[in-house]
Amino acid sequence: MAFSGNGMSDSRTVDLAAYRAELHAWLDAHHEQLAPRFAPPGTLDDHIAQMQRVKSILFDAGWMQFGWPERVGGRGGSPLLRTELGAAISGRDLTDPGIYSLIEVLAPTLIDFAPPELAAEVVPRLLSGAEIWCQGFSEPDTGSDLAALRCRAAPKGDARTASTWVINGQKVWTSLAQYSDRCVLLTRTGPADSRHRGITAFFVDMDTPGITVSPLEMINGDREFAEVFFDDVRVPADRMLGELNGGWAVAMSILPYERSSCFWQRIAYLYRRLQRLVDVAPDDDRAAEVVGNAFLQLHAVRARSRATQHRLAAGATLGAETSIEKVLLATAEQTTYDAARRLLRGIVELDDGVAGETWRGEYLYSRASTIYGGTAEVQRNIIARRLLELGSDE
Amino acid sequence: MIDAADRASMEETVRAAIAGAEAGASIDEVLGKLGWLELLDAEPPDAIAVVFGALGATNGAATALDDVVLSALGTKPRSDLAVLLPPFAAWDPPGRIDGKDLHARGLATARAASARELLVVCGSASEPWGVTIPIAAAQVDAVRGIDPALGLHAVRVQAEPAVATRLAPAAWQAAVALGRRAVAHQIAGASRAMLALARTHAIERVQFGRPIARFQAVRHRLADALVAVEALEASLGAARDEPDPETAALAKAVAGRTASTVAAHCQQVLAGIGFTTEHAFHRFLKRTLLLEGLFGSADEIVLDVGRRLLAARHVPTLIEL
Repeated sequence: MAFSGNGMSDSRTVDLAAYRAELHAWLDAHHEQLAPRFAPPGTLDDHIAQMQRVKSILFDAGWMQFGWPERVGGRGGSPLLRTELGAAISGRDLTDPGIYSLIEVLAPTLIDFAPPELAAEVVPRLLSGAEIWCQGFSEPDTGSDLAALRCRAAPKGDARTASTWVINGQKVWTSLAQYSDRCVLLTRTGPADSRHRGITAFFVDMDTPGITVSPLEMINGDREFAEVFFDDVRVPADRMLGELNGGWAVAMSILPYERSSCFWQRIAYLYRRLQRLVDVAPDDDRAAEVVGNAFLQLHAVRARSRATQHRLAAGATLGAETSIEKVLLATAEQTTYDAARRLLRGIVELDDGVAGETWRGEYLYSRASTIYGGTAEVQRNIIARRLLELGSDE
Repeated sequence: MIDAADRASMEETVRAAIAGAEAGASIDEVLGKLGWLELLDAEPPDAIAVVFGALGATNGAATALDDVVLSALGTKPRSDLAVLLPPFAAWDPPGRIDGKDLHARGLATARAASARELLVVCGSASEPWGVTIPIAAAQVDAVRGIDPALGLHAVRVQAEPAVATRLAPAAWQAAVALGRRAVAHQIAGASRAMLALARTHAIERVQFGRPIARFQAVRHRLADALVAVEALEASLGAARDEPDPETAALAKAVAGRTASTVAAHCQQVLAGIGFTTEHAFHRFLKRTLLLEGLFGSADEIVLDVGRRLLAARHVPTLIEL
């Protein structure tokens, strides 16, 4: 085999279509080993265990390392390789893309901003399924307005020479916090009103004394995110990510990953959901119209996302224009689940079987797609100001 | 293939040439001088993107759609040969042979008014036949409708003796696909033009002591219009990179949805002035309403695509990274 195993060729020169073909052939051949062990729909615990197991199998086989730099244990090559992998396993229902694609927002942060030895030590643990990490950004008073965050980090002694920082405050909506070994945490290090100029990022071990995690039950009954409390949590200074008061750059650097690879994975997952609907939908014109409309929206966002990723791979810097696909994706996602609810009468509202539990949970989760990662309104504000250049709205 | 930057500059050239055409000069002549047929022959995707995008942006009327359809059917385009387009909102071959007689009904561009001959495709989409008849044998009536400036004609052929020639099995589907892409590019150009008009108005129009562009309700309408335009352009990019009947059909369906979204938001932002013929908006609105029906409307295409998904019980991804 040209790509898998240890005798692989130089992945920087690989042809994406050939890589994809070999990846899918390998996934076909290892289907039994990779398939979920739990009865669907499964609990969040089941999904987390499945994700870690799949990552571990893929890591051992050498797939998980494609598209990551050699200096963190990767095998190099275009990031599109890992996008293909994420989409392949999401599209096959081997992992939930929401929790799997956290890799795409966390590993690059360590690679770009952590001391090199730290990144080399911890990134392979994230990729191999040995660890789970979370992202401590949002706070009770900090939803869309991230620069208002208040969770404070104070130096023991002088900020420039301190060997320890002490963190006090609260985070909320922290996905997978109760499962996590580490947290990429944004803290206030400048004056209270310093906004984006006074934020610093840290990489915090979640077993540090003083951290309390309190899971929140979501609308679909899952406890995917949590409140996290920090009470005199001591963090070594060498766990600072990026510069002192340079945390805004760390937070902003995530956007290109979130808006490329993560989106492509989610789109693959949604095609799979539409396939599930098409498997059982009635064969009449009303269903044809509803299904056709969801397919049209998924196609448009897939086309947009594809173009964006090719721009990124060609060296472009992604920015405000990715708010376009954020809006398209959120809309397409809700349309897809609305289609299921409309065509499979009672599936979301009444059905207590496996299909009902699955569609209900996912339908309810899909309502968040216009909220998380920047609300639909924030995206439209960005489009108006930055892309349409309508000027300030103040 | 021509890169995106060159394509944009070509489109600018074509747009300027159309806008600057002497009074009385036809846009067909302008396009001819710019080398439209040569470009269509050499690089069809670039040719239709550039020329139809510019036609949409300028609200220009030309008969270039005949050239697109003829070339996809394997016939060398010429100005004295018109082609019969399907009736409004439909896309099956517009003709049928009954015994030895041709019957047909459909639409044609302004070329039908000056051409000597008319090419009519008959049979089914997968087994097409071509018939060329003198235009005099057809009943050709100018359509006024909502947008007389586009120059569409209604064409009817009744019991005309004809000799049919078998076309390549994929010829009609290819013609529909390329025709759909051309029209979708034209709608994209028109949609961007509507958005530009509404944006300018929002910045210049002052109410309650400030430009209406400062009101979030107005900003969000324009943002949604831009999202729709970008979705269309991405779909056209997919149809270009993975050319087949399916990606072209979806691009045309997205075009229909985009046109109605953009028109609704822009008309609302333009408010009173957009409701008059003093402002250019109405021309783009009327043009896109008409273009929406060529080679199938969004609703018809979505229904057709959905029926096929359900018949096959399969959802294809169509495009890959």
